[in-house]
Amino acid sequence: MTTTPGQAVAAGRVSAPRPSAAQRLARAASKLTLPVILLLPAMTIIVGLVGYPLVRTIWMSFTDTRLGDLINGTSTWVGLDNYKQVFTDPQLRSSLVNTVVFGSACVVGTMALGMAVALLLNQRLRFNWFFSLAVLLPWAMPALAASSIFKWLFDDRYGFVNWALVKLGFHHFQDYAWFADRNSAYVAMFVVVVWQSFPFIALSLLAGLQTIPRDTLDAAAVDGAGALQRFWLVTLPLLRPVLAVLVIFSTIWDFRIFDQVYVLAQGVPDRAADTAAVTGYRESFALGHFGTGAAIAVVLFCVLLLLSIACVRLVGREART
Amino acid sequence: MRWMLRRGWMYVCALAVSAFALFPIYYVVITSLKTRSEIYTRTPDLWPNHPQWGQYTRVFGAGHVGRALANSLIIAIPTTLICVLVAGMAAYALARLEIPLKRTLLMLILTTQMFPLVVLIIPLFVLMRNANLIGTYEGLVIAYLAFSVPLAIWIMRGFIVTIPEELEHAAMTDGATRVGAMFRVILPIAGPGLVATASLSFIAAWNEFMLALTFMNTEERKTLPLVLQSFVGRGDTDWGAVMATSVIYALPVMIFFLLLRKRLMLGMTAGAVKG
Repeated sequence: MTTTPGQAVAAGRVSAPRPSAAQRLARAASKLTLPVILLLPAMTIIVGLVGYPLVRTIWMSFTDTRLGDLINGTSTWVGLDNYKQVFTDPQLRSSLVNTVVFGSACVVGTMALGMAVALLLNQRLRFNWFFSLAVLLPWAMPALAASSIFKWLFDDRYGFVNWALVKLGFHHFQDYAWFADRNSAYVAMFVVVVWQSFPFIALSLLAGLQTIPRDTLDAAAVDGAGALQRFWLVTLPLLRPVLAVLVIFSTIWDFRIFDQVYVLAQGVPDRAADTAAVTGYRESFALGHFGTGAAIAVVLFCVLLLLSIACVRLVGREART
Repeated sequence: MRWMLRRGWMYVCALAVSAFALFPIYYVVITSLKTRSEIYTRTPDLWPNHPQWGQYTRVFGAGHVGRALANSLIIAIPTTLICVLVAGMAAYALARLEIPLKRTLLMLILTTQMFPLVVLIIPLFVLMRNANLIGTYEGLVIAYLAFSVPLAIWIMRGFIVTIPEELEHAAMTDGATRVGAMFRVILPIAGPGLVATASLSFIAAWNEFMLALTFMNTEERKTLPLVLQSFVGRGDTDWGAVMATSVIYALPVMIFFLLLRKRLMLGMTAGAVKG
């Protein structure tokens, strides 16, 4: 290698002799001190309060843990028995099906309404400020408060919904008990979930819509594309990355839903409307079957993980092509 | 006429969506101001004929909502402060410093957001039990950090990355240490991001229900959602109390959202959409 003295000095090779291994180690260590100090508290919390519990739950799902075992730290290994039970016990299995069907319906409903509202907000109508404030507020409502309010709105005797429906001529809804039947309970819960989650989707999509250059849309209009065509051929493809992320997030939110179901599905006979999160919680803390509860939680977790990976893959492939 | 056809239907839709969004909020407020006989009627009015504060004084007195409000604050405020401090340090390191396996680390942090809380709750319960933290404020604060820290790291990192690195280099050339530059240059600029992150973690702790339900086993330590749930869960629900408590419970969050609308949006999208 031929280097001029100047370059050698610049590279720090002449002025300082090659540092020994120990020195280099010390230097690397001192370079890592700051990151370690900065990251240590956060990592302790994440590993201790998320990582360890996750591993522990997975392990527990293979054991027959009862409350006594939980206190004494003992447990019996039962292999796949808990999982067998989750997939064969009609009530546990139906809670998983409920989660997938109800969760997907909520995602579709939220995305559809969110998209419609985003497009409307993007029209910049007069009183737009009022419209966007109105849309923001349901998002600010804590889930438990929203559930309580809708339980009241859907009350069989004094509820506003039944009163309004009867007024509109649907006499069938006189004293209609929404939470006495699985399907009607789901209608009410669907309304709560969509009401609460469409604002975030709408406002995020609005942010996405505003990044689409006007020129592109104008050019399409000049070329004779109608409003619907512009939406399908220009807006939607350009929004696809944002849409994909929002679909992943609302899937995660709606599949792990707890508060709303815990409050609203309470009165449904045979707990037929419970979703996986509520069933897992109840198996553990009400019935003391911690092993079974852990197994339900792990199954729910795997479903979410697979869905997210699938979504990310799909988006990734589209981004490349 | 043409204008009516072209734009009019949009106004109708906007009005319908606004009504759908606002009506439940309006209805809970007016119900909380109604008298008992006005609440339990088969022909509900859309305004209180004899507005009164009776429900509020009742839930604050016999319902112990005041105590629950204090409990919620005692838990949410330390959670927010610790979360912002811890996550801010980590976010700075992940945004600026050279760290081996940075991308993997970031992805791992994001993955924690995918966990349904029910996956973590049994071992957390055991941990808290062994540490004698069941039913204490500290226990719930620690548990809340588990889900607020990862999200806060992502959001704050998003804010710090957008600050030009030259500003720090300039400060460091002028003799500031890296830590000094961090506090004197980055912290003031990242202020709005910090406020957004703090608000979001406060709201998360304020709204949380499942962990509180599991850990807070004494009447005296119940947080607001637990008290609200105990009103709803009873056989014959006291709807007046439920509505008044809901208003008290939702009001702080609504105020936060109205004041910090733009910043919260930015924070959520930085955390969610950039991921």
